[in-house]
Amino acid sequence: MAKVHEITVWARGVIMDKEGRDVINIFAQAAQMEGKFAQAFDNYEDLPDRVLVTVRKYVRLSDEEIEHKYVYTNDKPEVVVITEATIVKGIDILRGMEKGGTLIINTNRSIDDMLKLIPNANLLGTVATVDADAITGVRTVDFSGSEGGVDTSGIGKGIASPMTGAIAKVTGMIKKENLAKIVSDVSGMERGYNEVKIKKLG
Amino acid sequence: MAKELPGYGTIDVPKDRVVPFGAVTPAPVCQQDLFQTSNWRIVRPVKDDEKCTRCLICYLSCPDACWVYKEEEDVMEWVNNFCKGCQICIQECPSGALTAVPELDFPDGVARLDKPF
Ligand code: SF4
Ligand code: SF4
Repeated sequence: MAKVHEITVWARGVIMDKEGRDVINIFAQAAQMEGKFAQAFDNYEDLPDRVLVTVRKYVRLSDEEIEHKYVYTNDKPEVVVITEATIVKGIDILRGMEKGGTLIINTNRSIDDMLKLIPNANLLGTVATVDADAITGVRTVDFSGSEGGVDTSGIGKGIASPMTGAIAKVTGMIKKENLAKIVSDVSGMERGYNEVKIKKLG
Repeated sequence: MAKELPGYGTIDVPKDRVVPFGAVTPAPVCQQDLFQTSNWRIVRPVKDDEKCTRCLICYLSCPDACWVYKEEEDVMEWVNNFCKGCQICIQECPSGALTAVPELDFPDGVARLDKPF
Protein backbone atom coordinates (compact mmCIF):
# COMPACT_ATOMS: atom_id res chain seq x y z
CA MET A 1 0.00 0.00 0.00
CA ALA A 2 1.28 3.43 -0.89
CA LYS A 3 2.10 5.84 1.89
CA VAL A 4 -0.86 7.55 3.49
CA HIS A 5 -0.19 11.16 4.46
CA GLU A 6 -2.02 12.26 7.59
CA ILE A 7 -3.08 15.86 8.22
CA THR A 8 -4.79 16.83 11.48
CA VAL A 9 -6.65 20.12 11.91
CA TRP A 10 -7.42 21.43 15.41
CA ALA A 11 -10.33 23.83 15.98
CA ARG A 12 -12.65 24.84 18.81
CA GLY A 13 -16.09 23.32 19.28
CA VAL A 14 -19.13 25.19 17.92
CA ILE A 15 -17.53 28.60 17.34
CA MET A 16 -14.99 27.25 14.84
CA ASP A 17 -16.45 23.90 13.93
CA LYS A 18 -17.37 25.01 10.42
CA GLU A 19 -13.95 26.53 9.79
CA GLY A 20 -12.16 23.36 10.85
CA ARG A 21 -14.45 21.18 8.79
CA ASP A 22 -14.09 23.45 5.76
CA VAL A 23 -10.29 23.23 5.94
CA ILE A 24 -10.35 19.41 5.71
CA ASN A 25 -13.03 19.29 3.04
CA ILE A 26 -11.31 21.89 0.85
CA PHE A 27 -7.95 20.17 1.34
CA ALA A 28 -9.33 16.74 0.45
CA GLN A 29 -11.27 18.07 -2.56
CA ALA A 30 -8.24 19.94 -3.93
CA ALA A 31 -6.12 16.80 -3.57
CA GLN A 32 -8.72 14.74 -5.40
CA MET A 33 -8.58 17.23 -8.28
CA GLU A 34 -4.94 16.24 -8.71
CA GLY A 35 -5.93 12.60 -8.91
CA LYS A 36 -4.99 11.74 -5.35
CA PHE A 37 -7.11 9.58 -3.10
CA ALA A 38 -8.37 11.46 -0.08
CA GLN A 39 -10.46 10.96 3.02
CA ALA A 40 -11.80 13.71 5.32
CA PHE A 41 -13.37 13.02 8.70
CA ASP A 42 -14.56 15.21 11.52
CA ASN A 43 -16.51 14.94 14.76
CA TYR A 44 -14.91 11.80 16.10
CA GLU A 45 -13.66 11.26 19.65
CA ASP A 46 -14.04 14.93 20.59
CA LEU A 47 -17.01 16.99 21.78
CA PRO A 48 -17.82 19.27 18.82
CA ASP A 49 -21.09 20.49 20.32
CA ARG A 50 -19.44 22.11 23.34
CA VAL A 51 -18.33 25.71 22.95
CA LEU A 52 -14.53 26.23 22.90
CA VAL A 53 -13.62 22.57 23.36
CA THR A 54 -10.64 21.45 21.27
CA VAL A 55 -11.80 19.35 18.34
CA ARG A 56 -9.86 17.54 15.63
CA LYS A 57 -10.57 17.10 11.95
CA TYR A 58 -8.64 14.65 9.83
CA VAL A 59 -7.46 14.37 6.21
CA ARG A 60 -5.61 11.48 4.63
CA LEU A 61 -4.00 11.55 1.20
CA SER A 62 -2.50 8.77 -0.85
CA ASP A 63 -1.56 7.95 -4.43
CA GLU A 64 -3.47 4.70 -4.15
CA GLU A 65 -6.86 3.87 -2.75
CA ILE A 66 -6.86 4.19 1.05
CA GLU A 67 -8.13 0.92 2.36
CA HIS A 68 -8.55 1.50 6.07
CA LYS A 69 -11.91 3.21 6.22
CA TYR A 70 -12.91 2.41 9.75
CA VAL A 71 -10.31 4.18 11.82
CA TYR A 72 -11.04 7.87 11.87
CA THR A 73 -8.21 9.34 13.90
CA ASN A 74 -4.72 10.15 12.62
CA ASP A 75 -2.12 8.48 14.81
CA LYS A 76 0.94 9.92 13.07
CA PRO A 77 0.11 13.34 11.65
CA GLU A 78 2.70 14.75 9.24
CA VAL A 79 1.02 18.13 9.12
CA VAL A 80 -0.83 19.73 12.04
CA VAL A 81 -2.98 22.81 11.42
CA ILE A 82 -4.09 24.99 14.35
CA THR A 83 -7.03 27.27 13.54
CA GLU A 84 -6.97 28.97 16.97
CA ALA A 85 -3.53 29.65 18.42
CA THR A 86 -4.30 29.16 22.14
CA ILE A 87 -4.81 25.44 21.44
CA VAL A 88 -1.00 24.94 21.33
CA LYS A 89 -0.89 25.78 25.03
CA GLY A 90 -3.42 23.35 26.35
CA ILE A 91 -2.81 20.17 24.44
CA ASP A 92 -0.05 18.02 22.99
CA ILE A 93 -0.85 18.93 19.40
CA LEU A 94 2.23 17.11 18.06
CA ARG A 95 1.34 13.78 19.68
CA GLY A 96 2.30 10.94 17.34
CA MET A 97 4.23 13.17 14.93
CA GLU A 98 7.49 11.79 13.58
CA LYS A 99 10.55 14.02 13.44
CA GLY A 100 10.47 16.59 10.65
CA GLY A 101 6.73 17.32 10.70
CA THR A 102 4.98 20.56 9.79
CA LEU A 103 2.93 22.88 12.00
CA ILE A 104 0.75 25.71 10.64
CA ILE A 105 -0.86 28.14 13.11
CA ASN A 106 -3.45 30.86 12.64
CA THR A 107 -1.96 33.68 14.71
CA ASN A 108 -0.57 37.20 14.55
CA ARG A 109 2.14 36.31 17.07
CA SER A 110 5.70 35.52 16.01
CA ILE A 111 6.82 32.00 15.19
CA ASP A 112 9.40 32.11 18.00
CA ASP A 113 6.77 33.15 20.56
CA MET A 114 4.61 30.22 19.53
CA LEU A 115 7.51 27.76 19.64
CA LYS A 116 8.15 28.71 23.28
CA LEU A 117 4.74 27.28 24.13
CA ILE A 118 5.42 23.90 22.52
CA PRO A 119 7.64 21.69 24.71
CA ASN A 120 8.14 19.03 22.02
CA ALA A 121 8.87 21.50 19.19
CA ASN A 122 12.05 19.53 18.39
CA LEU A 123 9.80 17.19 16.37
CA LEU A 124 9.14 19.94 13.87
CA GLY A 125 10.90 20.48 10.56
CA THR A 126 8.76 23.42 9.47
CA VAL A 127 6.63 25.94 11.35
CA ALA A 128 4.42 28.51 9.66
CA THR A 129 2.04 31.21 10.86
CA VAL A 130 -0.68 33.02 8.98
CA ASP A 131 -2.91 35.74 10.42
CA ALA A 132 -6.12 34.34 8.95
CA ASP A 133 -8.30 36.29 11.40
CA ALA A 134 -6.89 39.58 10.14
CA ILE A 135 -7.33 38.53 6.50
CA THR A 136 -11.01 37.72 6.89
CA GLY A 137 -11.86 40.33 9.55
CA VAL A 138 -14.21 39.59 12.42
CA ARG A 139 -14.99 35.90 12.68
CA THR A 140 -18.60 34.94 12.03
CA VAL A 141 -20.00 32.14 14.11
CA ASP A 142 -21.87 30.05 11.59
CA PHE A 143 -23.62 26.74 12.10
CA SER A 144 -24.18 26.10 8.40
CA GLY A 145 -23.35 22.58 7.39
CA SER A 146 -23.28 21.31 10.97
CA GLU A 147 -24.44 17.78 11.66
CA GLY A 148 -25.34 17.15 8.03
CA GLY A 149 -27.28 20.41 7.59
CA VAL A 150 -27.11 22.42 4.35
CA ASP A 151 -24.14 24.77 4.19
CA THR A 152 -25.65 28.05 3.01
CA SER A 153 -22.64 30.25 3.75
CA GLY A 154 -20.38 28.58 1.18
CA ILE A 155 -17.34 26.39 1.71
CA GLY A 156 -14.36 28.36 2.91
CA LYS A 157 -16.29 31.35 4.19
CA GLY A 158 -14.27 32.67 7.11
CA ILE A 159 -10.74 31.67 8.06
CA ALA A 160 -10.76 28.36 6.16
CA SER A 161 -9.87 30.07 2.85
CA PRO A 162 -6.67 31.80 4.03
CA MET A 163 -5.77 28.71 6.08
CA THR A 164 -5.97 26.42 3.04
CA GLY A 165 -3.99 28.95 0.97
CA ALA A 166 -1.28 28.84 3.62
CA ILE A 167 -1.36 25.02 3.72
CA ALA A 168 -0.91 24.88 -0.07
CA LYS A 169 2.16 27.12 0.10
CA VAL A 170 3.78 25.40 3.09
CA THR A 171 3.15 21.74 2.28
CA GLY A 172 2.91 21.75 -1.52
CA MET A 173 0.40 18.89 -1.11
CA ILE A 174 -2.35 20.83 -2.89
CA LYS A 175 -2.34 23.45 -5.66
CA LYS A 176 -3.52 27.03 -5.35
CA GLU A 177 -5.26 26.84 -8.75
CA ASN A 178 -7.45 23.98 -7.54
CA LEU A 179 -8.26 25.76 -4.30
CA ALA A 180 -9.48 28.75 -6.29
CA LYS A 181 -12.11 26.52 -7.92
CA ILE A 182 -13.43 25.35 -4.54
CA VAL A 183 -13.36 28.17 -1.97
CA SER A 184 -15.95 30.93 -1.81
CA ASP A 185 -13.36 33.53 -0.74
CA VAL A 186 -10.68 33.34 -3.45
CA SER A 187 -8.94 36.59 -2.51
CA GLY A 188 -8.71 35.48 1.14
CA MET A 189 -7.18 32.19 -0.01
CA GLU A 190 -4.62 34.05 -2.19
CA ARG A 191 -3.71 36.33 0.71
CA GLY A 192 -3.20 33.32 2.98
CA TYR A 193 -0.94 31.82 0.30
CA ASN A 194 1.09 35.01 -0.08
CA GLU A 195 1.21 36.18 3.54
CA VAL A 196 2.10 32.96 5.34
CA LYS A 197 5.41 33.17 7.24
CA ILE A 198 7.53 30.02 7.12
CA LYS A 199 10.46 28.97 9.27
CA LYS A 200 12.55 25.85 8.67
CA LEU A 201 13.93 24.25 11.80
CA GLY A 202 17.14 22.24 12.05
CA MET B 1 -6.24 2.45 44.33
CA ALA B 2 -7.58 3.99 47.53
CA LYS B 3 -9.38 7.29 47.06
CA GLU B 4 -10.54 9.73 49.75
CA LEU B 5 -13.99 11.02 48.92
CA PRO B 6 -15.21 13.84 51.15
CA GLY B 7 -18.06 12.55 53.28
CA TYR B 8 -17.84 9.12 51.71
CA GLY B 9 -14.70 7.73 53.33
CA THR B 10 -12.32 5.67 51.22
CA ILE B 11 -13.17 3.47 48.27
CA ASP B 12 -10.85 0.90 46.81
CA VAL B 13 -10.66 0.78 43.02
CA PRO B 14 -8.34 -1.94 41.68
CA LYS B 15 -5.93 -0.50 39.10
CA ASP B 16 -7.32 -2.60 36.26
CA ARG B 17 -10.83 -1.32 36.97
CA VAL B 18 -9.98 2.40 36.79
CA VAL B 19 -11.79 3.88 33.80
CA PRO B 20 -11.19 7.13 31.87
CA PHE B 21 -13.54 10.07 31.75
CA GLY B 22 -16.65 9.35 29.75
CA ALA B 23 -17.33 6.03 31.38
CA VAL B 24 -17.58 6.53 35.14
CA THR B 25 -16.06 9.40 37.09
CA PRO B 26 -15.36 9.07 40.79
CA ALA B 27 -17.87 11.63 42.00
CA PRO B 28 -18.59 13.43 44.23
CA VAL B 29 -15.23 15.12 44.63
CA CYS B 30 -14.34 18.79 45.09
CA GLN B 31 -12.24 19.03 41.94
CA GLN B 32 -12.50 16.43 39.21
CA ASP B 33 -8.96 16.24 37.83
CA LEU B 34 -10.07 13.91 35.05
CA PHE B 35 -12.06 16.74 33.55
CA GLN B 36 -10.01 19.91 33.57
CA THR B 37 -11.33 22.57 31.25
CA SER B 38 -8.59 25.20 31.36
CA ASN B 39 -7.49 24.33 27.84
CA TRP B 40 -10.84 25.53 26.50
CA ARG B 41 -9.80 29.11 27.22
CA ILE B 42 -8.89 31.70 24.59
CA VAL B 43 -9.00 34.49 27.18
CA ARG B 44 -8.87 34.43 30.96
CA PRO B 45 -10.55 36.78 33.47
CA VAL B 46 -8.02 38.98 35.25
CA LYS B 47 -9.13 40.71 38.45
CA ASP B 48 -8.30 44.19 39.68
CA ASP B 49 -8.37 43.95 43.49
CA GLU B 50 -8.69 47.74 43.80
CA LYS B 51 -11.99 47.71 41.93
CA CYS B 52 -13.31 44.42 43.35
CA THR B 53 -15.90 44.98 46.10
CA ARG B 54 -16.11 41.27 47.10
CA CYS B 55 -19.78 41.28 46.12
CA LEU B 56 -19.53 37.56 45.17
CA ILE B 57 -21.51 37.99 41.94
CA CYS B 58 -18.72 36.25 40.01
CA TYR B 59 -18.98 33.36 42.47
CA LEU B 60 -22.71 33.12 41.82
CA SER B 61 -22.51 33.48 38.05
CA CYS B 62 -19.58 31.22 37.20
CA PRO B 63 -21.00 27.95 35.82
CA ASP B 64 -17.93 26.08 37.05
CA ALA B 65 -17.54 27.60 40.52
CA CYS B 66 -14.17 29.08 39.60
CA TRP B 67 -14.38 32.10 41.90
CA VAL B 68 -13.90 31.34 45.58
CA TYR B 69 -13.99 33.86 48.41
CA LYS B 70 -10.96 33.50 50.67
CA GLU B 71 -12.19 34.79 53.99
CA GLU B 72 -8.82 35.06 55.77
CA GLU B 73 -7.24 37.21 53.07
CA ASP B 74 -10.50 38.87 51.99
CA VAL B 75 -9.89 38.22 48.29
CA MET B 76 -11.62 36.42 45.47
CA GLU B 77 -9.51 33.51 44.26
CA TRP B 78 -9.66 32.23 40.69
CA VAL B 79 -9.51 28.47 40.05
CA ASN B 80 -7.28 28.23 37.01
CA ASN B 81 -7.62 24.59 36.04
CA PHE B 82 -11.38 24.63 35.69
CA CYS B 83 -12.04 28.10 34.25
CA LYS B 84 -13.05 27.57 30.62
CA GLY B 85 -12.90 31.23 29.64
CA CYS B 86 -16.63 31.68 29.00
CA GLN B 87 -16.41 35.32 30.20
CA ILE B 88 -19.76 35.22 32.03
CA CYS B 89 -18.10 36.55 35.20
CA ILE B 90 -16.61 39.45 33.22
CA GLN B 91 -20.05 40.34 31.86
CA GLU B 92 -21.71 40.08 35.26
CA CYS B 93 -19.16 41.86 37.50
CA PRO B 94 -20.92 45.10 38.52
CA SER B 95 -17.67 46.93 39.36
CA GLY B 96 -15.74 46.35 36.15
CA ALA B 97 -13.08 44.56 38.16
CA LEU B 98 -12.67 41.73 35.65
CA THR B 99 -11.14 42.00 32.19
CA ALA B 100 -10.51 39.43 29.45
CA VAL B 101 -6.81 38.95 28.71
CA PRO B 102 -5.59 36.61 25.93
CA GLU B 103 -4.38 33.35 27.39
CA LEU B 104 -1.29 33.47 25.15
CA ASP B 105 -0.04 36.53 27.08
CA PHE B 106 0.69 34.19 30.00
CA PRO B 107 3.53 31.69 29.70
CA ASP B 108 1.80 29.16 31.96
CA GLY B 109 -1.46 28.52 33.72
CA VAL B 110 -3.17 26.00 31.49
CA ALA B 111 -3.21 22.30 32.24
CA ARG B 112 -1.42 20.73 29.30
CA LEU B 113 -3.24 17.55 28.43
CA ASP B 114 -2.05 14.70 26.24
CA LYS B 115 -5.49 14.08 24.83
CA PRO B 116 -8.54 16.35 24.60
CA PHE B 117 -9.89 14.48 27.64
S1 SF4 C 1 -18.20 40.20 40.66
FE1 SF4 C 1 -16.49 41.64 40.41
S2 SF4 C 1 -16.61 43.00 42.18
FE2 SF4 C 1 -17.90 41.24 42.66
S3 SF4 C 1 -16.52 39.85 43.78
FE3 SF4 C 1 -16.41 39.27 41.63
S4 SF4 C 1 -14.66 40.41 40.79
FE4 SF4 C 1 -15.21 41.35 42.75
S1 SF4 D 1 -14.60 32.91 32.51
FE1 SF4 D 1 -16.39 31.58 32.87
S2 SF4 D 1 -15.50 29.71 33.76
FE2 SF4 D 1 -13.93 31.29 33.94
S3 SF4 D 1 -14.22 32.16 35.97
FE3 SF4 D 1 -15.42 33.44 34.54
S4 SF4 D 1 -17.50 32.58 34.55
FE4 SF4 D 1 -16.10 31.05 35.48
